[in-house]
Amino acid sequence: MSRPLRALFLVIAVVAVAFPFAWVVLISFKSRVDLNDPSSLSFTPTSANWSEVLHGGVLEAALRSVEVGLATVSVSLVAGTLGAYAISRFKAGGGPARFGILLAQLMPPAVLVVPLFILFFNWNLRDTIWAVIAAHLTFVLPVVTWFMIGFFDAVPRELEEQAMIDGYGRFGAFRRVVLPQVLPGLGAAAIFGFVLSWNDLFYALILAGGNAETLPVAISSYNTFRGVELGAMSAAILVSVVPVLIASFFVQKRLVRGISGGGLKY
Amino acid sequence: MLRRIPIGYRFLTPLAVVFAAVFAYPFVYSLWLSLTNYTITRRNETRFVGIDQYTGLLDNDTYRQALVNTFVFVLLAVSLELLLGLALALCLQRQRWARNVTRAFLLAPMFVTPIAVGLMFRFLLNQQIGVIPEILGTFGLEIDFFGPDLALFSMVAIDVWQWTPFMVLLLLAGLESLPKQPFEAARVDGASRWLTFRSVTLPLLKPVIVVAVLLRALDAFKVFEYVFAITRGGPGTATETIQYQVYRTGIGFFRLGEAAAMAFVLVAVVLTIVVVLFRRLMREAT
Amino acid sequence: MRRLLALSVALLALALAVAGCGGGDDDSGGTATGGTPSGTVRVIMEEVPDTDIVKSLLPEFQKEFPDVDVQVEALPYDQMRDRIVSSFLASDPTYDMIVVDNPWMYDFAKGDFLLPLDDRITAAQDFDHEDFAQPLRDIAEVDGATYGVPFYNYALGLIYRKDLYAQAGLTPPTTLAELKAAAAKLNTGGRAGIAMQPQKGYKIFEEWGNYLFGAGGAIQDADNAVVLDSPEARTALQEYIDIYKASAPKNSLNWAFDESLRAVAGDKAAQMISYNWMLPTLNKADGPAGKLAGKFALAEVPGGKSILGSWSWAIPKNSASPDAAWAFIAWVTSKQHEKERVIAGGAPVRASAMSDPEVWEQGFGEDYYTTVASILEDAAPLADGPNAEEMINVVGEDLNAAVAGQESVDDAISSAASGAQETLDK
Repeated sequence: MSRPLRALFLVIAVVAVAFPFAWVVLISFKSRVDLNDPSSLSFTPTSANWSEVLHGGVLEAALRSVEVGLATVSVSLVAGTLGAYAISRFKAGGGPARFGILLAQLMPPAVLVVPLFILFFNWNLRDTIWAVIAAHLTFVLPVVTWFMIGFFDAVPRELEEQAMIDGYGRFGAFRRVVLPQVLPGLGAAAIFGFVLSWNDLFYALILAGGNAETLPVAISSYNTFRGVELGAMSAAILVSVVPVLIASFFVQKRLVRGISGGGLKY
Repeated sequence: MLRRIPIGYRFLTPLAVVFAAVFAYPFVYSLWLSLTNYTITRRNETRFVGIDQYTGLLDNDTYRQALVNTFVFVLLAVSLELLLGLALALCLQRQRWARNVTRAFLLAPMFVTPIAVGLMFRFLLNQQIGVIPEILGTFGLEIDFFGPDLALFSMVAIDVWQWTPFMVLLLLAGLESLPKQPFEAARVDGASRWLTFRSVTLPLLKPVIVVAVLLRALDAFKVFEYVFAITRGGPGTATETIQYQVYRTGIGFFRLGEAAAMAFVLVAVVLTIVVVLFRRLMREAT
Repeated sequence: MRRLLALSVALLALALAVAGCGGGDDDSGGTATGGTPSGTVRVIMEEVPDTDIVKSLLPEFQKEFPDVDVQVEALPYDQMRDRIVSSFLASDPTYDMIVVDNPWMYDFAKGDFLLPLDDRITAAQDFDHEDFAQPLRDIAEVDGATYGVPFYNYALGLIYRKDLYAQAGLTPPTTLAELKAAAAKLNTGGRAGIAMQPQKGYKIFEEWGNYLFGAGGAIQDADNAVVLDSPEARTALQEYIDIYKASAPKNSLNWAFDESLRAVAGDKAAQMISYNWMLPTLNKADGPAGKLAGKFALAEVPGGKSILGSWSWAIPKNSASPDAAWAFIAWVTSKQHEKERVIAGGAPVRASAMSDPEVWEQGFGEDYYTTVASILEDAAPLADGPNAEEMINVVGEDLNAAVAGQESVDDAISSAASGAQETLDK
């Protein structure tokens, strides 16, 4: 593709992404009456939706979602990366290990949630974020593991052999040579794992409501029997997207620098 | 003592422990549920029914339709996302101006919880009050987005909007971790861009592509929120999906045993496909 | 599973006994008839204005019952049932009192999740149970036992624009033919003649059921057998499709309540069949209709018999404080507090409130309450019996397929009827 064509393609993509968000920004400033026609441009802006959202527990829910997401992702990254390396390099566990973990990713939440509920109930963990973290691990861990399997598969074997000739042990070679190679993958896995946890409605809804409400649960509560509270929901969407967007910006930036900085020798 | 365990298994242990802790019990429990007629509102009548729940699904027209719809949805959505995602990742990799901002921004759709995405598009695509039909109208176009012919494809489009960023994220990360030497060699050989892409980039990127497709597909099989927010499986059975059916049967109609059987049929079918395809890919690679 | 549950119950009981916190603040208190009940009552309710109204009455209740602490958790409809059922399954419940939507009533009662309330109702002083509209009481009664007390109704009515009707020289339709004609006449370029909710499942059935009654058909007979397979049902579905095609907004096959309300409130549709209590909302000066407020009126649906929905107060069998919960239910549904609740804007369930001039004056006017009273006189729920939720979905699928043109009217009705019967028999 030539350069202008690439630029055009990117511009189209940016517009396609931006358009619905622009609409969301617009309607977050609309009053109930103006929302009868959500798309019209003539309206008197109101901040009612924003103050409702900012005072209505959405921020607390967002904070809780961050905690859940970070905890889930941290555990998944450690266990998943080591496991992925074992599966990719040493074929540890063989096919059953590789595909077995996919089972969890495939199981519908509507089925898994019931045993999980009973389990957490018995452990007295219902309505806590611990229950949600454990439930999120069932689908974030397989994803992170598979993510990393893909990246480890792509690292040439010679690299490690070279490193071991250079005097590194198995774990040293893994930590100092292989891991820097897959840093972008690690970052991507972290972001995506976080996204999956950040977006989950189902488990969070059933395993923890009220005091342990997460962001998606808070947002979905604007979808009421008497219609969708579009204004407040839009404000809540923006509240939920902007911080993650900024965070992912920095994660990406660091990672890109990380690869061009280190790991060049190999 | 630790030394006696093969190195691979030492690396694998944390994964196995965490996984077993969170997944083993629910999995075995739901497998057992699928062999009973367990219904929440009739717990006293629960009994073991063997594979009855499974054979019962054979005569369930809606379930079959849901299976077909789900596969069509996954196939279309994932192919589109892969093509668009790869193209975008290639563009982004070479982009210089405002690169980090563009990258971060293009990921934004992923960060919106899917139920909210569904509700957004329910109104964006509404014929009477939606802005997209209004814009199309100025060009004299009228599209019945949630009518019987297009509803499933509208769901695909929504999925593409939300999840192409995932492909971009993963493929871009893949592209950036490719070794540099093969590309230099190709440049020295004077290979054209297209040839470099086909004979160097694609083969090197293949493991990442395989994983990207696999993960996206598995997630797409769980499509639920858009259907729930917009059509409830309609018109007719046009957007009926397995996840939505499992939800309705298990949580809505209380028949957890049947819902579990529905889930396991899908799991079995998909896992078989994944293993077969994956084995073939691996064989090609060696 | 049952063994596991039993085990967990046993363990929990043991743990509680050992810890000496076997939470007796409920059973130490009064019985259904005497004493002062005490304890904490955790209640799950829907996030709707009617719940806010009940919340606003709480301080008054607290004054009379200082030892009862009612804690309301308000959730959106779609989240409620999952949480309620989860609480049923737990030996240590999340909720001591619940509100039950009518399609859940039979299954909840038959699943042995609810306490029968007959003795408490009989023992309550000046309760006058007969004062609740008959169809609402019927919903709360399963196999001769009463499991709920009506909280509020959501029967359907025709909400129309008075000004547009007057301009066109129309009066509220009393037959389906008149509704069709009125919708066609009011259908102008920018404004649809009628906003509909043909979304698959619950929504279309809830709307079409009124057409069915209007055509003289019925869903179930006195013995609860499905009688949907009738010429009347076919007429009703044909009329529904004709009206949808001629006068509803274009491409609105997935519309539900939300879109219809927006269309009517935003001057893009002239009328809709919807919940009767949407009328005061639409007519409120600071409501969703803006400048159109005051221009809406409520009429019975064509034919006079409408689909009925209702919420009832109920006490789960595993409630930790059933007596305190009953104290609240008896208090909030008493004649006096029903009146206060209705004046504050709640949807009425007692005849005494609807015929009270004080209510008329301080509420939304005589017309509104007498219309609601006559709607409630003759109204029936979508399903009565086991698996109601599923039966509603089965019928709603065929109806929606017929409107979408995927099934013929004839096939849709016979398939809906046989599917409904099969579901009830399951």
